[in-house]
Amino acid sequence: MEVVLPEIVLRGHRVVKGKAEAEAIVTRDSISFMGGVDPTTGTITESGSELEGEKISGKILVFPGGKGSTGGSYMLYDMAKRGTGPRGIVNVRTDSIVAMGAVMGNIPTVDQLEKNPFEVIRTGDYVIVDGDSGTVRIRKD
Amino acid sequence: MLRGKMGPAVQKSIEILFTLGEIYNAQGMIPVDNVHMPGSSVVVAGDAGTEFVEEMADTKVAFKTRTTLNPAAIDFVRWKEIGIPDAYVEKQKKLSQAYQSMGAILSHTCTPYLAGNLPRIGEHVSWGESSAISFVNSVLGARTNREGGPSALASAITGRTPLYGLHLDENRKPRLLVKVSARLSSITDYGALGYYVGGVCKGENPLFTGIPAVASIDDLKMLGAALASSGSVALYHIRDITPEAKWAEEVSAKEKLKEVVEFGDAELKKAYEDLSKTQTDEIDVVCIGCPHNSIYEIGHIASLLKSREVSSNVRLWVCTSHSVKSDSDRMGYTRIIEQAGGIFMCDTCPVLSPVKEIAKRDSLKTIATNSAKLAHYAPGQCNLHPRYGTLENCISAAVFGRWK
Repeated sequence: MEVVLPEIVLRGHRVVKGKAEAEAIVTRDSISFMGGVDPTTGTITESGSELEGEKISGKILVFPGGKGSTGGSYMLYDMAKRGTGPRGIVNVRTDSIVAMGAVMGNIPTVDQLEKNPFEVIRTGDYVIVDGDSGTVRIRKD
Repeated sequence: MLRGKMGPAVQKSIEILFTLGEIYNAQGMIPVDNVHMPGSSVVVAGDAGTEFVEEMADTKVAFKTRTTLNPAAIDFVRWKEIGIPDAYVEKQKKLSQAYQSMGAILSHTCTPYLAGNLPRIGEHVSWGESSAISFVNSVLGARTNREGGPSALASAITGRTPLYGLHLDENRKPRLLVKVSARLSSITDYGALGYYVGGVCKGENPLFTGIPAVASIDDLKMLGAALASSGSVALYHIRDITPEAKWAEEVSAKEKLKEVVEFGDAELKKAYEDLSKTQTDEIDVVCIGCPHNSIYEIGHIASLLKSREVSSNVRLWVCTSHSVKSDSDRMGYTRIIEQAGGIFMCDTCPVLSPVKEIAKRDSLKTIATNSAKLAHYAPGQCNLHPRYGTLENCISAAVFGRWK
């Protein structure tokens, strides 16, 4: 018998089209994909960051938005092509550097959810990002 | 352009700009004639970005705008002396040639405003490089969003950028006040100020008061670079100093701006402590010039190194543009610095070159710097643990091999 998990649906703003689903990894720290992430392994390297040493590859990455280096667009694109990037992105507000990288790397992205994502999504939740409709579905164990 | 009548590169570029415009609800496209190109280093562009740029160049498209390049992954003259692995040299030469073939100037610097690219007040431009973006928006009063490699390239190819964000008055308004009561007496203090404020202001435009009227271009360069590293600040205003400050103060009074960040002696001290991520006194590398040194900073380094010698256990890297270095040559600064054992690193810097590999190969662990931006990126990007201090502290560390 299939177990149906309770699902929360949040509406938001479409940033990059496409659908992606995976386990969420959540941080309240902004991310610089250049200088803050190792593109070869998909590991966060920024000293003092909540996710320092954690892998974001294949996950739905939930974070406030980008910061720092403008090299982040190509780095995120490079990670997507290598297969070390996140599968989908949920932001409070996607900045232009992350947006450009996600566009190039075809990483479905949604921002400006109707609820604060940090109050709803926890690391380990199963999340479906729908960049076509601008919604995010969250399944909790 | 969208239908591809002007060739595949123009078509792809305008698609990128339209997509960006759609995301940010842009009011249309505006013409630009000035691009500073991020992703000029193969370390930043990665294989994917490098391939993308080279494919664009292969179509024989020509840039419509004045275009300068951000630092490369190598010093084109001294890469061997610096120890940059051979593998990066050919790759970088190819990428630089691709940009050049489309019409870019081989400036390879993060301070293009010190090397001939100086947008005017109110000019709409399309710039990458977080520190340079904050400089042109804030100090020069030109207008740019934070452009990543693909959108800056698309702007250079089409001469267009989407009209949203910092191109519009509404988004150039100050959103928080920063009252500076600490005494700022070196560029390192300005870096500490920027690092602290960047961490607390969540990308909102700050309006500073209490910054002395004698603040130099070098001070503001360090302030902006730090603001853009710990945060994503792309525009700041400073009472009596920056060109839009008077307008920003009127806005702030009218909108009764309340959020106030205080920056006193305690915050200054905390920023220095946060930036020094190691307590080790043994120093392996000393790096000055992030963002790239001005000729005045190089003169200062030379005056501190006169008749002294860099410790044999330390590498002293002095980063700058090729164009500033040629002034340094004429002034005799280069000779003094090189005779003391310092190494010039032109066209590149530790953040954008493969220093992580050099550090691993040569067992380098610590770096001393007067740059808040470099101190911020050194652990993640170079695998080097920073000590943050004044130029005098750093040069002394280079000479004695120890932090004092």
